[in-house]
Amino acid sequence: MIDDSKPIFLQISELIENDIISGTLPEESQVPSTNEFAAFYRINPATAAKGINRLVEEGLLYKKRGIGMFVAQGAPARLRSNRREHFANQFIMPLTAEAAKLGIEMDELLSMIKSTSAT
Amino acid sequence: MSRIIKVARMQLINKWTFIGIPLVILASAFLFTLAIWYLVRRGGGEGILYGGGAQAPMWYFLALGIQALTLTFPFAMAMSVSRRSFYLGTLALFSACALILAVFYYLMGLVEIATGGWGVDGRFFALQWIAENNWLTQILFYFVLMILLFMLGFFAATLYMRWRTTGVLVFTIGLGLALLGAVALITLTETWPQVGRWLAAWTAAGVTAAGAGLAVVLAGSSYLTLRKAIV
Amino acid sequence: MSETPAIATRALSKTYKDVKALDNVGLSLAPNRIYGLLGRNGAGKTTLMSILTGQNFADHGTAEIFGHAPFEHDPTLARLCFIRESQKYPDDFKVFQAFHAAALFFGNWEEELAQDLIRAFNLPVKRRIKKLSRGQLSAVGVIIGMASRADITFFDEPYLGLDAVARQIFYDRLVEDFAQHPRTIVLSSHLIDEVANLLEHVIVIDQGRIIIDAEAEELQGAAVTVTGGAQKVEEFIAGYPVIHRDALGSLSSISIRARLSEEQRDRARAQGLELTPVSLQQLVVRSTLNSQKNQEQTTERQAIK
Repeated sequence: MIDDSKPIFLQISELIENDIISGTLPEESQVPSTNEFAAFYRINPATAAKGINRLVEEGLLYKKRGIGMFVAQGAPARLRSNRREHFANQFIMPLTAEAAKLGIEMDELLSMIKSTSAT
Repeated sequence: MSRIIKVARMQLINKWTFIGIPLVILASAFLFTLAIWYLVRRGGGEGILYGGGAQAPMWYFLALGIQALTLTFPFAMAMSVSRRSFYLGTLALFSACALILAVFYYLMGLVEIATGGWGVDGRFFALQWIAENNWLTQILFYFVLMILLFMLGFFAATLYMRWRTTGVLVFTIGLGLALLGAVALITLTETWPQVGRWLAAWTAAGVTAAGAGLAVVLAGSSYLTLRKAIV
Repeated sequence: MSETPAIATRALSKTYKDVKALDNVGLSLAPNRIYGLLGRNGAGKTTLMSILTGQNFADHGTAEIFGHAPFEHDPTLARLCFIRESQKYPDDFKVFQAFHAAALFFGNWEEELAQDLIRAFNLPVKRRIKKLSRGQLSAVGVIIGMASRADITFFDEPYLGLDAVARQIFYDRLVEDFAQHPRTIVLSSHLIDEVANLLEHVIVIDQGRIIIDAEAEELQGAAVTVTGGAQKVEEFIAGYPVIHRDALGSLSSISIRARLSEEQRDRARAQGLELTPVSLQQLVVRSTLNSQKNQEQTTERQAIK
């Protein structure tokens, strides 16, 4: 949900991005309207519009006049490759830092990851 | 529809305040007076019977003048009404009410005379000093008196609105000092008999004219005070 | 942006006896947006709004609504709606009569919306206003403000006495109705966290002075609290404006005004520092306290002179 870490319009873009990546919003599916977003998250409609427009500018969404917003072809793939680039910084680094703090060796860490994802 | 008329309509939203209560006051004062007169007659009382109850609703107008301002003005501000519209609308409504009531007094006076003072030779509406004048003077007399009392209440309330308690206090003390000064002056110059004669010489028409003048002065001062009043 | 501002003030000042209610306030508010007018009780919010609606007078400076001075100007006043937090109603009025009056004066009055809100707030319309609870009184003000659909609507601490559910109803309906009927809304509040997400622009007033006048998105994430070992925290925050410091033993928690890049965040994480966002409410509280501290220091300096 919405928090204070960054501008709300950015958070709205990211929420939509997440839904596109996870498949909740498949290619060519319709995205909720600005006012629906505003009402759902209790945010200003202008802010919601800004978050959506940002994705339109990036070509991830496109507008059908008089109908609404839709997920563009290839949007999930593009988003995935973007996210992969940031994966190391965002997830691996804090993980290794914390592991180092606790004295967890690399081998141990790897086997922990394996066993966790196996379950 | 003009905002001035809307102000009048707003004041009338609770019809009881502007129309109902004065009528109830008048009716009950009249019925009480009638009841007393009948008792007096049965007890063998003689001569013309006078009742001062007709002025009862007028004193209510003094209170109404205060109430119309202190309670309705802050609300009117919230309704985004200009002070001018509020003032004109309120005054227009009250003038209309006063005029209707003044005509009613005059008509009741006619009935009173026609029925021989309600069968008991009583005088409630047609007090001789007033009833001996022509119809226009009679109506104007009642009308001006009501307006004057209303304006007095309204003016006192604008003073309160603008300068709060200090304003009302300064005004009352000032008025008291002026009266005291006048009394002192008359006493020192030993002119009480002349003053008495002067007062007795007033006619209903004269009172009406003077009252109208005073009401206009109060109305003007009220507006100038209200223009800068803060809720 | 050559559009006439909905609200524009220049060097607005107002003094009550020895208290400066407004001190050189200059603002420009564009139409059809939601503004937050934030600040402590007595900071000057109500004074500002009552001058903007022609109910009060400034000692100096000018205030214009859509290019017109509002004072005694009926056509301009007709575009405004300002129900005070301590709004007085005629003593003999029942609830429905107040709405009746409002329907008379506000040209865009939306009776359906009013009825809908009356139901939502569970308001006893036949009761005398004098007999209402504080929350019900607030609800009357909220309903008039919402249903007036005035070009500029001021909400003056609209939630006093309203419970959490009723407040949520208010925020929900506001967003909903604003989306359908955009207009200029000025939301005066000291419950900042609750309204933060609704605002497009934030104005913070303290002791009559405007201390923040910024887009909401410029303020969201504009400050961050860094927590960790004192030494490391000090190194990390070097060069940034500090808005607040807390210390607990060797642990230090310092809020700085900074929008950190991903790289900086990664670096902080690598050093074992914890980063937490500073909410709008915290930001306003800190800015207010700092501004008061500065004010006191200036006064002290002047006193020494």
